[in-house]
Amino acid sequence: MALPPAVELRRRNRAALLEQLHRHGPQTRAALTEALELNRSTIGALATDLAESGHLQETTGQSTGSAGRPSTLVACVPQSITVAAVEIRADRLRFALVGLGGEVLERSETALEDGDDPMTAVAVITGGTAGDADEAVAAMPGLVDEGTVAHSTELGWVDRDAAADLEAATGREWQVVDTATAAAVGEWSRGDAHEARKLLYLHGGRGLTAGLVIEGRSQRGGSIQLGHIVVEPGGRECACGLRGCLEAEIAAFGFAEDIENTTLAAGMGDAAARNRLRRSGEDLGRALGAVVTATGPDEILFGGWLRELYLSTAAPVRSALAETTLPHLRSRLRLRTPVLGDEGALIGAAETGFAAIFDRMR
Amino acid sequence: MFLELTGLSKRFGPVEVLSDVDLAIDAGEVCALVGDNGAGKSTLVKCVAGIHAIDGGAITVDGETRIISGPRDAAALGIEVVYQDLALCDNLDVVENLFLGREKVRGLVLDDDAMEHLAAETLSSLAVRTIRNLRQPVASLSGGQRQTVAIAKAVLWNSRLVILDEPTAALGVAQTRQVLELIRRLADQGLAVLYISHNLNDVFAVADRIAALYLGRMAAVLDAADATQSQVVELITSGRSGSLGIGAADTNGARP
Repeated sequence: MALPPAVELRRRNRAALLEQLHRHGPQTRAALTEALELNRSTIGALATDLAESGHLQETTGQSTGSAGRPSTLVACVPQSITVAAVEIRADRLRFALVGLGGEVLERSETALEDGDDPMTAVAVITGGTAGDADEAVAAMPGLVDEGTVAHSTELGWVDRDAAADLEAATGREWQVVDTATAAAVGEWSRGDAHEARKLLYLHGGRGLTAGLVIEGRSQRGGSIQLGHIVVEPGGRECACGLRGCLEAEIAAFGFAEDIENTTLAAGMGDAAARNRLRRSGEDLGRALGAVVTATGPDEILFGGWLRELYLSTAAPVRSALAETTLPHLRSRLRLRTPVLGDEGALIGAAETGFAAIFDRMR
Repeated sequence: MFLELTGLSKRFGPVEVLSDVDLAIDAGEVCALVGDNGAGKSTLVKCVAGIHAIDGGAITVDGETRIISGPRDAAALGIEVVYQDLALCDNLDVVENLFLGREKVRGLVLDDDAMEHLAAETLSSLAVRTIRNLRQPVASLSGGQRQTVAIAKAVLWNSRLVILDEPTAALGVAQTRQVLELIRRLADQGLAVLYISHNLNDVFAVADRIAALYLGRMAAVLDAADATQSQVVELITSGRSGSLGIGAADTNGARP
């Protein structure tokens, strides 16, 4: 049903105001007026309106040190809109209930044993809270498409309808994103990567995955199976059935813990360790070359244990990347490590939920 | 360009340590300076820092030719150097070290609160989470933490160019990673960084451009995105690589 233009506009402005406060924290009405490019009286009316509905509160801000009345700050009320976020790994499950403005209201973590079904564990860990949350998002490592985990090395799933299974276990609807995409959203919105238009996040867990977000939004088809790009045709056999996958070639399993020791040994002149690092770096660089050529990102973040691998093998990674990508693609490409560390995926899952909520409000 | 060196020369008696070196460093980028022992890396740093007077060429800061005749001149232009041996005082705490020689005063007494506040702000802007207590003596810090304090000290003074001489040389693997991330963050926050290292992995991990010195001459300045490890090794060891370098057809900024 089409709404009258004025009502429609008002809805949009409400959503924009809440999103602005959610992303950038408490600010003065004057700052809001400037950021949203709206009329001062419009902001005033919207703020009053949203304060009545319980989404906002106005607080007396700190004095700026200059003369005059201290300006009031508009801030959002965290409890007014909440998102339940979970991150599933092979060996653990993490949960956070995040309020409007990004405040973490509840948080817990549990270990998963072999054979535990993560879906049941999600129902336990979220308890009663997930049902009340306005949106629920689950991050899972693997190739995810619209609620289905098409393939996950880490969880050992192929074509599992994760959204339906979660709904059956918890009695509410869930949005499913892959861990790398969630972490990319997190780094873009709460980390240091907000200048990147196309942000590629590489996640090193028990498998290697990547997620591409555009302007901080997850995209359908943005989930990439980095670990199963073939870097050595006819190479080692991989659990997925192919030969010479990146994951198989750099022996992803167990290597995570070894990087530190291998780097140390290489630094002291161990030729085998040097060789292993160099080859792993080259393989990673080659796989990245393919991904960069296909997607043209302007920033790549090395997350999970790929942070350690990248910082230990940056020379072969970048050399291989330089040899396998077009000059105009690599010249504006920034290679960085994430600032949110291990928290990125959980924060990003919550932000994905908020993005959906703001979209619905418009 | 924030800093431009043109035709820089320096001799110690009959020995020409730097000969006709050109280099430009812009805000927001990490320029790595590589070269073998004795290639002139440290001498170049000391010329920019005002420790050595130059014998030829010019140093331009923000488009104006400047004569840097001492560390104070360099500091006034926003150029700070973090040396290998860090120059921290073991018996003083983190805040005291950060403000050493430039303490903030209120009336006749030191303004400790303001200094502690500013120190905390600087460290958090660099996303430093490894130093919890700003009042612990520097002697009790690990190598990586000390390096972090030394770098924060350089950043605190509205500096615009930070020169780091082998900052990871004495560090463990995990600490090296943290310092590399810190170096990258300095540039991402808009500082110009000149980074000197022997370790090519560390160079590739943070650099936007790589300048290779060979026997006192600039062999080539490469975009890190286009460079390969073997190219850089060749430039360091022989001064040329393919069409790049000294005496090659395309001199890429270096004069034969």
